[in-house]
Amino acid sequence: MTPKTLVPSRGLLLTFWLIGGILLAFILIPLLQLYAAQTPASLAHVAGMAEVRDAIWLSLVAAFFTATFAGIFGVPLAYLLARTAFPGKALVEVIVDLPLAVPHTVAGIALLFVFGRTGVIGGPVSALTGFQFWGTIGGVVIAMLYVSAPYTVNAARVGFESVDPRLEKVARTLGANPWSVFRRVTLPLARRGILTGLTLTYARSISEFGAVIILTYYPMTAPVKIYDLFLQFGLGDSSAMAALYLLVALSLFILFRHLAYGRVVPGGRQ
Amino acid sequence: MNGIVVKNISLNLGAFALHDISFEFDSGETFVILGPSGAGKSVLLETLAGFYHPDAGQIRIGGRDVTTMPPEARRIGFMFQDYALFPHLTVMQNVQFPQRADPSRVREVLARLGLEHLTDRKPVNLSGGEKQRVALARALAADPALFLFDEPLSALDARTRDTLREELKTLLRQLGVPAIYVTHDQAEALVLADRIAVLRDGRLQQTGRPAEVFNAPANEFVANFVGVETMLPAQIMKVSDNFVSMTVGDKTLYALDRGVDRTLRSVLACIRPEDVALSHSPSSDAGARNQFTARVVSVSTLGPLFKIALDAGFPLVAYAAKQLYLDLKLSPGASVTASIDATAIHLIAR
Repeated sequence: MTPKTLVPSRGLLLTFWLIGGILLAFILIPLLQLYAAQTPASLAHVAGMAEVRDAIWLSLVAAFFTATFAGIFGVPLAYLLARTAFPGKALVEVIVDLPLAVPHTVAGIALLFVFGRTGVIGGPVSALTGFQFWGTIGGVVIAMLYVSAPYTVNAARVGFESVDPRLEKVARTLGANPWSVFRRVTLPLARRGILTGLTLTYARSISEFGAVIILTYYPMTAPVKIYDLFLQFGLGDSSAMAALYLLVALSLFILFRHLAYGRVVPGGRQ
Repeated sequence: MNGIVVKNISLNLGAFALHDISFEFDSGETFVILGPSGAGKSVLLETLAGFYHPDAGQIRIGGRDVTTMPPEARRIGFMFQDYALFPHLTVMQNVQFPQRADPSRVREVLARLGLEHLTDRKPVNLSGGEKQRVALARALAADPALFLFDEPLSALDARTRDTLREELKTLLRQLGVPAIYVTHDQAEALVLADRIAVLRDGRLQQTGRPAEVFNAPANEFVANFVGVETMLPAQIMKVSDNFVSMTVGDKTLYALDRGVDRTLRSVLACIRPEDVALSHSPSSDAGARNQFTARVVSVSTLGPLFKIALDAGFPLVAYAAKQLYLDLKLSPGASVTASIDATAIHLIAR
């Protein structure tokens, strides 16, 4: 419950609600229009197309792998940023946030130089293992990871910062070594921040278009397929697939949020 | 020695340093480190726990040299302010946390501290007293050789603090585990301490039994900190017949000679407010060598006591209980007789 406050006047609050309401309407009306334009038949039609289902499935799976990698590589960095001071920390923070500022098509082109056919990593990896980042889910995950990893690092960092260092100290005195303290105290207590980060990374990955389409047009993720349908057939099928994809993506997002925040028991989180 | 030995510990943290800290005490005793905030109490405790490595010196716990050991090997029970219970674990899981906590030991400490009925609770659902007992149980489950307390009671309200302090004192006596307890509260130090050390700016000022430190402070800072209200610059005139006679302004004070340095001239005469006796008129008791007619300057209340500021030819502070306060009509301007026993005056070189 927010405490009732008498400081702002009714008139001010009412005016702000009217202005804020315009923004809320601006966000919601296009989505409602998107669904208003659909019929059960149009949704069933696109749902019956194998390449539509494949694209949606690819987006969901690639985003899952992306969140996994973001967790593996982002959580240790988040811990360092939360718990230690080191020379160049400000620079590291800027690097972490950099993908948020880089236009996604630019990110895609930059990634081509590294993971493309002749890229500094893409070339050797392909020569050594035969695995290619282009034309595979590998490229999709790379593109998604580049633009969405900052969310995991930043949210996990907030999670680690919220853990009282005295709890870690007391755990040490109770006989736990630093690795054990991290596993048994720090990680569980930062869990909420980490899950928030992974959820944001997942959500960002599901919606990624620019970096993915440049690094690897095929296999098509859902946003790329929607664009493809739009170019080929106009609004009809593309809007139906858009509505379908949004439904799936939002359901998952709500589910993950519930998993991350939902289990609040009286007197503390689990 | 089988207790705790801290020898010549120095630590430089840049902005703050510990200088040549040495003390020792027996196993089973509680050693209180008293000092204002910023004195380095927490840094000293965390150095003993192994979170800082001293630049020089040695720390021995129960005969083991732990100076270079990591915290997890030192067998320390660290009690933080608010106790730092793991909020994501139940009481049972908290107590089971230490690797050394085998099931029979866990059962034993839970029973000993009366926690069996709380094992499924989360820390957030515990009272202050329950938290204290869970934290002790968790530390005991790890079989500590030394308890360290970092002002565990300072965030609590006065009533709860008094209760928990008494409970803690009883438990520490029963457990027989040596403990170092840091606080800025002299009352807490008096209740808990077998020995007291006063710390200021990273240096120990004085170490001793509570009565020694409170009645015979080593310097002005310690005197101030342990509640000596009257400190009078005095000139020693003569030392004879077991008494030191000295002048304060145009008055003469007599202190028992406890082997005062014969070359000393300028001293501070320290008088605790509870050692100043107030009465209607001078008594003929020869034991009270120091009797002065004094005027009440101001009165303030200290909970159950009144603090009376007097002018006896020099400033003097006394305590009076309510009945005495009413009997003597101690309002500002009133005139009373103030007596100070010669044994109650402590001299500090100046």
